[in-house]
Amino acid sequence: MKRVLVYLDRDLLRWKRGRVAVVSNLVMPAAWLIFVGLALPVTFTGNYLDFITPGILILTVLSTSLQGGSLLMFDKVLGFLNKFLALPAPRESILFGKILFITLRGAIQATIVLVIAVLIGASLYSPTQYAIMYLILFLFGSLFSAAATTVALFLDDHDSYAAFNTMISMPLFFTSSALMPYSVMPAWLRPIAAANPLSIAIDGIRAAATGVVPLASVGILTLLAGGVLLVCLHVFRHVTV
Amino acid sequence: MTAVETEGLTRYYGDLGAVQDLTLSIDGEIFGLLGPNGSGKTTTVKMLTTLLPPSSGSARICGHDVTREAPAVRERISYVPQEMAVDIKLTGRENVLLFARLYGVPAPRDRTDQALALMGLSDRADDRTGTYSGGMRRRLELAQALVHEPAVLFLDEPTIGLDVAARKRIWEHITSLRHNGVTVFVTTHYMDEADRSCDRVAFLDRGSVVAIGSPSSLKASIPGETIIARITGNYAPREIPGLTFAGQRGDLLTFTGPPAEDGIASIQRELDLQGIPVHEIGRREPSLDDVFLQTVGSQDAAGPFDDHRFRLILRRRG
Repeated sequence: MKRVLVYLDRDLLRWKRGRVAVVSNLVMPAAWLIFVGLALPVTFTGNYLDFITPGILILTVLSTSLQGGSLLMFDKVLGFLNKFLALPAPRESILFGKILFITLRGAIQATIVLVIAVLIGASLYSPTQYAIMYLILFLFGSLFSAAATTVALFLDDHDSYAAFNTMISMPLFFTSSALMPYSVMPAWLRPIAAANPLSIAIDGIRAAATGVVPLASVGILTLLAGGVLLVCLHVFRHVTV
Repeated sequence: MTAVETEGLTRYYGDLGAVQDLTLSIDGEIFGLLGPNGSGKTTTVKMLTTLLPPSSGSARICGHDVTREAPAVRERISYVPQEMAVDIKLTGRENVLLFARLYGVPAPRDRTDQALALMGLSDRADDRTGTYSGGMRRRLELAQALVHEPAVLFLDEPTIGLDVAARKRIWEHITSLRHNGVTVFVTTHYMDEADRSCDRVAFLDRGSVVAIGSPSSLKASIPGETIIARITGNYAPREIPGLTFAGQRGDLLTFTGPPAEDGIASIQRELDLQGIPVHEIGRREPSLDDVFLQTVGSQDAAGPFDDHRFRLILRRRG
């Protein structure tokens, strides 16, 4: 565990020093909040910003997770991984450190987006509601950072990975319940949206906001994250023999 | 206990034998593994550092088997790969401290300071390594490797891409480590550097050791003498009685043969006959290059460039 934190520390330090990336990752979610959340004329709710905020938080975590997928691949390509693998520290700590970093980074970015949302008029939650929200963000971040890392290690090529990233991120977002409730969706979209892991996370946060404890969402996300983490561990061991 | 011991160490990539039947015993010395690109040097190092499992045979580091006791092996070694991998956004000190923490050494900050001082990097320790020269980055990697005081240090092409002064400095550091009792296993394709600094060298060609020994004994093993001619143009090899043409490298021709008084004259005659201008011709002390050319054969005679083999090696070892 100590080694996991050392690897986490390395990535946090590198992230902090790359100032442009810290800011640029916030522009898109902020734009969604302001130009869609505040501007879109919708009739199904009086406060669209409140409705869309959970979706934008999940979008933030999704995009930082997908972006983070290439980190371990770059460590491999640039020769860092071989140096780390020859160290006495347990090799899995490299992977867990990376997933923890990507998830934590997503949570930090989401927090900044949340502050922006509140500043422009989103309602505040209770401490318990925030705790549930962060639990969901954390589980969702682990799920997608493990999935992204797996795909990147498997593809083993930055261009292919970037193409994959572009290909899945927007379709995932638009087929979720981020922008509209199930009641106003066309019938064909409803089952797709209900099965989308983004919706599971978003619906969980929305449920928490209404005072319900979203056990189903948390349970499903935990199972998914655990399963994908196992697959990721398997791929990691396979590429590092 | 012997630092590095291998027995019939073999690695196949598909049906390509990258390393074949390697049996070595190395202890308390600077051991150089020499050979052209793709001869299996990096594959050997990767097996010895537990990064790649052998197809057959075995290797032990300080008595620990690289496949069955990999964690114990990793406790005792350090590995600096060819690619210069330092975090350029981190300072030199942060780069070394990272490794001190990963190794779990006691008092990581003190060890970091010592390792940086040993490599002559103390005054630049708090600068981002993005501002370091190639030689400094390599020394920083050595500091990272030394922070846990390994028994065996593996260096894969430590001087590749560095200028002459930086190379010299790296080798000085390697030599001083050996005096402090570290066994150093180094791969290189710079024969002159190995000649100067290695206690023993082995030539690897297509995965097999073709010659092994101290540089001086290997050079002494070359029969006869070596004649070098500096020319302009290309020499078409023709039979010269008593001499063997060992190859052309750039504008230098190398001939070897039993000591004979008229060796130089015969070569001069042949070159004149072919109308090749000769700038310089004379006998030379044999070098490791000559040993290499003699044991492996001239580079041109090694057959056409095998594209498939080359790609296979690059891809598999990445």
